[in-house]
Amino acid sequence: MVRIDTELLSNRRVAEGYFELRFRWPAAAGAPVPGQFLTVRAREGSDPLLRRPFAFASHDGTRDEATIVIQERGSATRALATLEAGAKLDLLGPLGHGFAFPERGTEPVLVAGGIGVGPMLFLRAALDAAGVSSRFVLGARTAALVPEALLPRGAGVEVRTDDGSLGAKGTAADAVTALLPEARAALYACGPAPLMAALDRIAAERGWPYQAAVEEWMACGVGACMGCAVPLKGGGFLRACADGPVLDGSLVKWD
Amino acid sequence: MGLNEATRAPGGAAQEPFAPDLSVRIGPLVLANPVGVASGTFGYGEEYAALLDLDTLGALYTKAVTVEPRAGNPAPRLAETPSGLLNSIGLANPGLEAFIRDKLPALRARRCAALVNVAGATVDDYVRVVEGIEAAGGVDGYELNVSCPNVKSGGMAFGTDPALVALVTESVRRATKRTLVVKLSPNVTDIRETARAAEGAGADAVSAINTLVGMAIDVKARRPRLAMKTGGLSGPAVKPVGVAAVYRISRAVKIPVIGLGGIMTAEDALEYLLAGADAVQVGTATFADPGAAFHVLEGIEAWMREHRVARVSDIKGLLEG
Repeated sequence: MVRIDTELLSNRRVAEGYFELRFRWPAAAGAPVPGQFLTVRAREGSDPLLRRPFAFASHDGTRDEATIVIQERGSATRALATLEAGAKLDLLGPLGHGFAFPERGTEPVLVAGGIGVGPMLFLRAALDAAGVSSRFVLGARTAALVPEALLPRGAGVEVRTDDGSLGAKGTAADAVTALLPEARAALYACGPAPLMAALDRIAAERGWPYQAAVEEWMACGVGACMGCAVPLKGGGFLRACADGPVLDGSLVKWD
Repeated sequence: MGLNEATRAPGGAAQEPFAPDLSVRIGPLVLANPVGVASGTFGYGEEYAALLDLDTLGALYTKAVTVEPRAGNPAPRLAETPSGLLNSIGLANPGLEAFIRDKLPALRARRCAALVNVAGATVDDYVRVVEGIEAAGGVDGYELNVSCPNVKSGGMAFGTDPALVALVTESVRRATKRTLVVKLSPNVTDIRETARAAEGAGADAVSAINTLVGMAIDVKARRPRLAMKTGGLSGPAVKPVGVAAVYRISRAVKIPVIGLGGIMTAEDALEYLLAGADAVQVGTATFADPGAAFHVLEGIEAWMREHRVARVSDIKGLLEG
């Protein structure tokens, strides 16, 4: 974990309100693994006040580059969306725990909902690099919110939209339900709580392992403030930042 | 007068660089410098270890410790507001026994002074935490959290009643001779009354301010943004409230005042020191910039050189008007 001032290499709009930021990530900062995140200080000063967490969406160790995918939601993401190549970025990372690779004999099924796409893209690339084939399902409200340019190439990539404007109509969870129940799948997901809850039910019914990357408001990002509490079914909490963001999805109280 | 001028005698001949004394005495404890990190923002000193060398700072005020472990409040616990942060963590902590076993040894080994923030629902809770830590060898000092707005009983209920502040302070005072700081709530009509109560009951210092009760509502969802509905506001938004509190307290008591609330920069810290503080704590700013406390310290030292102020305790006398 380091805090670095680094350089934005490119900033491109990849869907409505979605931007891919590519930046210099020196080897000395440590190689992130899929599921890990960084925090960025969008601007100096007090508005926005806190750093914002984003999962790594890719990392290229040979070129010392990495990316995040952001969605414009508030003042911090608006400021980041308008940055141009050459801008200075104040980053802190890699933070948290990432995904564990699937057990032999299981087929990884990667499910992204909305802006949850970032960490799943990184995981897909890492699995590809290791020669592990995987399915990739992206769910979005509508076609305009699908970052098509970022979608993995190759087999087993599927898009679902709520309005049917791209891919089959339905949710990403529907696509997972359509998989053969007797398949030996390993679920990996990042997305909104209703999707994560639906996947939890499917995983429980079929006995599939379920690694979930959670999203919470964070203040410190390093485990000190106890702000990003993720409630557990059995009571108590885990910290999204330091215990996660990748957690055993079957333990999390999703609703 | 710039730094270069400050190092030269009037005749222009070079002299020894002016070296201000940054140390601050709080009760029996001498802090190496006036800058600490505030309770609840720095854990027990481990999490930020890779990002900030704590031993460069004057003091670490730990996350609160209670007798029993506390899981904390429901989520969401955080909401950012204009130049502010609302939190309702709920004193999540591993409890006294685990604290002594897992956290205390590293704290005791630090060069930087460690003050354990202590919270409870009853007077006895506070005493038990301090007695437990004393029996395990103790730390440099204690900061009594009588001002947390995020727990149902105790906390702020103590901090808003001068008689209860006095009771909890004198009870803990009997349990330790080490530096005892009482952290005051701004959620009162006149903070001087609780400050005087702490002083009268034997506190070595008071720290002010804890967070202000606040609320934010998601209008789209028509729902409070915190699960607990209200929380404690910190960050630059509260700084003027904190500076005024320190200004008034420092004129009402003789014990040192430790100022906090919205300090992001050395200039912010100097406002507190000019207002009457003897030391400061950096809290929420660490979340934005993990090195914030160190930058504050550097800036205070540079300011003292520039203005040729010999001791931190001299700064409060420099306020004009």
